[in-house]
Amino acid sequence: MRKFTKPTWLAIGWLGLMMFFSLFGWLLPLKSWSFVYEDDLEVGLFSSGHLLGTDSNGYDLLSSVVAGTRMSIFIAIAAVSLGGFIGSVLGILAAYLRGKVDTVMVTFFNVGLSVPNLVLALALVSVLATNLDINQAVPTWRRIIVLVMSLTVVLIPILGRIARGATLSWTSREFVTAARSMGMKDSKIILRHIVPNVLPALIAVAFLAVGVVIIAEASLSILGVGIPDGASWGGMIARGRNDLEYAPHVLYVPIAFLALTVISTNHLGDVVRSKLDSREAKV
Amino acid sequence: MAKISFWLQRIAQLLIVLLLVTFGVSLLLRLLPVDLATILLPVASEEERVALRAELGFDKGPIGYYLQWLGNFVQGDFGKIYFSGGTEEVSDHLKEAMPRSLLLMIYTQILALAVAIPLGVVSAYRAGRRADKIISNSLFALQSVPGFAIALVLIIFLGVKFGWLPTLGYAPISDGIWEHSKHMIMPVISLSLGLIATYTRLLRADMIAALREDYVTMAASKGLSDRRILWRHVLRPSSMTLMTSAALSMGGLIGGAIVIESIFATYGVGFEIFAAISGRQYIALQSSVAVIALFYVFFNLVVDIASGFVDPRTRDRRVNA
Amino acid sequence: MSSLLSVKNMSINFDTPRGSLEAVRGVDIEIPAGTSVGVVGESGSGKTVMCRAAMGLLQGSNVKRSGTVVFDGHELTAMSKEEVRNLFGSGMAMIFQDPMTALNPVRRIGSQISEGLRVRLGMSKADALARSKELLELVRIPNAAAVLKSFPYQLSGGMRQRVMIAIAIASNPKLLFADEPTTALDVTVQAQILQLLRELREDLKMSMVLVTHDLGVVAGNTDYVAVMYAGEIVEYAPTTKLFGDMRMPYTEALLDSIPKIDHKSGTRLAVIAGRLPDPTDRGAGCSFAPRCKYAQEKCHKEHPELKKDPDGHLYRCWFPIGVAK
Repeated sequence: MRKFTKPTWLAIGWLGLMMFFSLFGWLLPLKSWSFVYEDDLEVGLFSSGHLLGTDSNGYDLLSSVVAGTRMSIFIAIAAVSLGGFIGSVLGILAAYLRGKVDTVMVTFFNVGLSVPNLVLALALVSVLATNLDINQAVPTWRRIIVLVMSLTVVLIPILGRIARGATLSWTSREFVTAARSMGMKDSKIILRHIVPNVLPALIAVAFLAVGVVIIAEASLSILGVGIPDGASWGGMIARGRNDLEYAPHVLYVPIAFLALTVISTNHLGDVVRSKLDSREAKV
Repeated sequence: MAKISFWLQRIAQLLIVLLLVTFGVSLLLRLLPVDLATILLPVASEEERVALRAELGFDKGPIGYYLQWLGNFVQGDFGKIYFSGGTEEVSDHLKEAMPRSLLLMIYTQILALAVAIPLGVVSAYRAGRRADKIISNSLFALQSVPGFAIALVLIIFLGVKFGWLPTLGYAPISDGIWEHSKHMIMPVISLSLGLIATYTRLLRADMIAALREDYVTMAASKGLSDRRILWRHVLRPSSMTLMTSAALSMGGLIGGAIVIESIFATYGVGFEIFAAISGRQYIALQSSVAVIALFYVFFNLVVDIASGFVDPRTRDRRVNA
Repeated sequence: MSSLLSVKNMSINFDTPRGSLEAVRGVDIEIPAGTSVGVVGESGSGKTVMCRAAMGLLQGSNVKRSGTVVFDGHELTAMSKEEVRNLFGSGMAMIFQDPMTALNPVRRIGSQISEGLRVRLGMSKADALARSKELLELVRIPNAAAVLKSFPYQLSGGMRQRVMIAIAIASNPKLLFADEPTTALDVTVQAQILQLLRELREDLKMSMVLVTHDLGVVAGNTDYVAVMYAGEIVEYAPTTKLFGDMRMPYTEALLDSIPKIDHKSGTRLAVIAGRLPDPTDRGAGCSFAPRCKYAQEKCHKEHPELKKDPDGHLYRCWFPIGVAK
């Protein structure tokens, strides 16, 4: 096994735990997160029956945070995968085809990038989540879809620009010219030569993007626009603000999970990037 | 002469982007599946709604609507906010909100730079040794924690448990510097910690690279002290990336400020946007987003010009490119 | 003649991820006062590292230094960093190979020259600028007033090198280290710079250490020459004696590899085959043996010590040329 440092193993371990909760959390002997323990309001950490305590609504925090892990991780992976895929395709095509296609794409990217991320996400979510009858609440599943779509749109210019940059540095290399001179079709060149070389850079950024999305989802939920009633970490924090004064542990739990997860993804993104840089240096 | 045409080109590019952004927002509004007039005036009569539609330009096509909005915007008419009791001018709201947000962001940048520059210099000077490792690792962790998390923790400890600082609200400078500061301390710290981490890492990397350059050895051979070399010779050429980053981070700051402003209820521009959204005031939303985009783009232009002064090589390089 | 600079048994090692890199290996060298000594060697021979270490400019947490350096009666290796720094400027000074990277790109020439004067000699800003102008004229830069206000990137290579010389001689140093001062310049400019250095040495009574890989540069510009290979001094003699009666096969090979104008066209350039030995693993025997055309078995097995001829000629070879066995 390649030598990873201790912090890297810790990061991998934590993320592994998060994935476990996401995929198999429903197997754990916990009641649904929205089950109300009416007699156990605002119970502290490490109390009997409630490992992480409860909040003022009576929700068990352990169940909440496990369900929250599933929701937050799902949203993050969905948005990064979609946004990453679409953005990369657009970016790679723009850099490969050059000319007018490139100019249009770059302008499109710049437009997306000139609005601060959260503002764009906020605008998109608020518009797309509007119901025809404004007096009806929007169901959570719809909010989740809208959230993922909006974050995807925000990610497309970011990842697209990186994909384009990485592609630009590869298309000018000689093996591409050589492949063309052999009569290779463009699509094949892209798939066989460009993508494998651009992929590592994109993966490194994808790790960082996961952190960004998790934080964005939490921010939007705190603002009441994301999924404030939902299970996600952001939702827990949004609800937890009510208990700030007398039961701060209600906030500590989701904040800790969120921070540790983002630290882990950032660290792994860093590790991937430095492995990539050292590989490039040897070329 | 070449210099002027370069800047003109740059400004033209930025204007195009601005126009596209504002057009995009107005298009988004027009795509809403609901009748805006009904949303804005839920309890009005049908005639009043028709009148509103005409006034706002909803009867025109998307381009016509946009042009009308644009015409109003450049004249300073940002539209109205509609209550059951009447209307308020968006421009009035923004006029009050802008200084608050600007102060918050200015304080944040100042604090971030004031802390990051010495930290960056120290960790570059002692690269690889203990001080550097401690600083780098703590900053890395700090960078991953979002501003609102820090804000909430600060509120719990400084606001509730120790009661040192007020947890809500805003006091303008006219209320007294101390009062103003008390309300700003926690928001500013929350926003700046992430920035400090980013800036320090950037500066450290640039300075470590610069310290390897020959002109540093040359300066040492002149008999100059390490301190003098660090601060007066190495810092300036290394600060290019920092300046660019300061500009780019404004975008994130605006976003972060939205959440912080709503947590601390300081009623700045971020909060205005949030209020516009939750109150369904889509006209106000359109204008506020436009104002933010304008500000962001303008700020980038200023940094571009400034970086020409810091590193004169970029000045001529760009003109001759 | 007393020694202005005396280096004894200096070794410099760098800690790298690939192991300990031996850049300089047990070097002894004396610079008599009032002389110019050339240090010749290929890239990687350790000559630059040795000079920077001698002057006290080598920095880095991975540097290991041993040996003593005595300058003008002061034992540099026993002094603190600040004390050594006090000797810069009026005691020792250095000019560097690439004037583009050695001058601070974002500061004007005038400020770079006057900085040393203001900080070390306590001159006022006006006095320092006036003196800077004098110095520029001393190094034969035309239009000194305009140059004072320029940035390095606005000047030609030759002018930048002159500026660097001006900075170095500003406080009238006793010893000037010139690290490949002409390598980055055109041939015609090279000659001008070397001429300038010769004249300055005479006018300012300055000693000089001239580091270069080009034997042609040391001829006519130095009193003594030291040849370095793989971190060691392998030959040392008065310049004329080195060229006329050399001992080291390496020196002979160096001289042979210089293209001469009277070679017939089409003649192959003589090159020294092979490469420098790996500095992390020197191995036994003479470091030059793998590339030496006279090498014998003893050369590969035993590391030769420095031998001294009665007339002071030093060399490090088991089978030196020109000496009857």
